[in-house]
Amino acid sequence: MVVYIEGVGLTKVGRHYGLSIKDLAAQVAFNAIEQVGEPEGIDYLIFSSALAPLQDNQLDIAGYVSSYIGLRGIRALNVEAGEASGLAAISIAKSLLESHQADKVLVIGAEKLTEYVSSKAYKQLQMLYDSDLRSFYNIGFAADAALLMRLYMNTYDVDRETLSYWPALMHSNAKENPYAMLRFAIKPDRVSKSQILADPITLLDAYPIGDGAAAVIVSSKDVVKAPLAKVTAIESSTGLGEIELLDDPLIFDSLLNAYRKLSSIADVSQIDFMEIHDSFTIVAPIILESIGLAERGKAPELIAEGHFSSNGDKPLINPSGGLKARGHPIGATGVYQVAESALQISGEFPGIKVDNARRGLVISLNGLGSNSYVALLEGV
Amino acid sequence: MAMDLSISRFWRKKVSLYRLYGSRCKACGKVHYPPKKACPYCGSRDLELIELPKKGKLLSYTTIYAVPEGARLKSPIYFGLIDLGVTKVVAELTDVVDKNSLKEGIEVEAVLRKTQEDRDSGLIYYLLKFRPAMVHR
Ligand SMILES: [Zn+2]
Repeated sequence: MVVYIEGVGLTKVGRHYGLSIKDLAAQVAFNAIEQVGEPEGIDYLIFSSALAPLQDNQLDIAGYVSSYIGLRGIRALNVEAGEASGLAAISIAKSLLESHQADKVLVIGAEKLTEYVSSKAYKQLQMLYDSDLRSFYNIGFAADAALLMRLYMNTYDVDRETLSYWPALMHSNAKENPYAMLRFAIKPDRVSKSQILADPITLLDAYPIGDGAAAVIVSSKDVVKAPLAKVTAIESSTGLGEIELLDDPLIFDSLLNAYRKLSSIADVSQIDFMEIHDSFTIVAPIILESIGLAERGKAPELIAEGHFSSNGDKPLINPSGGLKARGHPIGATGVYQVAESALQISGEFPGIKVDNARRGLVISLNGLGSNSYVALLEGV
Repeated sequence: MAMDLSISRFWRKKVSLYRLYGSRCKACGKVHYPPKKACPYCGSRDLELIELPKKGKLLSYTTIYAVPEGARLKSPIYFGLIDLGVTKVVAELTDVVDKNSLKEGIEVEAVLRKTQEDRDSGLIYYLLKFRPAMVHR
């Protein structure tokens, strides 16, 4: 069943020392509610946050946020699927509408990553990867992507400097996006020279540590008044998610599976733009290759040649600047992606605009694919 | 120390952590590490514990400077993806004198090393790390 995005609220990703997670949530929720007129009729709140228990010492954050923003009495639930939480939350909202459990769902994604020093965030973010073995080591948040990046470079004989075009492209897109954290251009050759986090990954290869919140109101056909876009289909799949378990770690098995499922229920041709999960430089080409948008090992070259950019052919990828430069407030990211895509389709996105954007694809995953979500958004 | 881990957590994992035991699936033959309750490839629960080879080849590696809280003094930390033939594992790499000695294809071997001290109980925890084999050191 098709559901509709009616209102969105976004805040700039950054270091919001003066605002708590609940304040950030309130800000974007009020913005989204304003667009639909009034809070009456909203019958469910789905909150999406992964680190609230650790950064904010808060459990049942959905319950506490409900009264904090004046919605006491509403049904509310927090959804956590690591980095994929936001799109998982929207998927749950869609299911609630489909099963007639709700008609109008407020989805809020919010995350604080800067309450403590970065090294504490690195420790918390290590939990995105399988804790069974990894938690016995002090490897932080970039180790798995670093192993994957070196493996990719060696397997396909792709050099480091070619990969650097991706973060440069994301920075160039983010420069136009008022909600982006890193709004400055960089030249590709700066990437390898920036601070090393886990080699070959540098600071400019990794998503920035920032706070953020985004909200969308998802409505059924029966109650929708002025939709920005419709969500035609969402699919998801779990996967091995660990580099050592995958026979072929250079394809995300869960994403491949989720994308196949989506293709079987919806037409995924002629996509105008995508918002994909480029947590680290290396994750972007592997996503593009996993869904068949580039031949294996060839995505970095295509990116360097200007494909997927605002000057290239469609689909344009990450007009927002992506996780890399818009930012990646973990549990909020999927909600950002959907909110930005809805605005892109309605022609109201305040950054890089895609001409005649009618069809957008959103891809979100956790880690290296323990869980992958894909959503198709279209014009109404 | 690593993440804040309980004594019982180390105790539960001791066979896989100290002796490098993995699981072999009797249905599809594939091996995985550390052991799960079902084969991650085919779903079968018909598994047997097997001791994994203590030597392997380095497939990929990283030198980590962005280390988590509590591990600053140990920075940098080396971490690798290792092919043991029957399966692949990830592990911390140790005894790396020069980071340029880490290369794809070099032989690495498992050694038992301290990973964490429990300040309250005074217990010291060990687990297997891999070091470059003698010829590469
Ligand atoms: Zn099996």
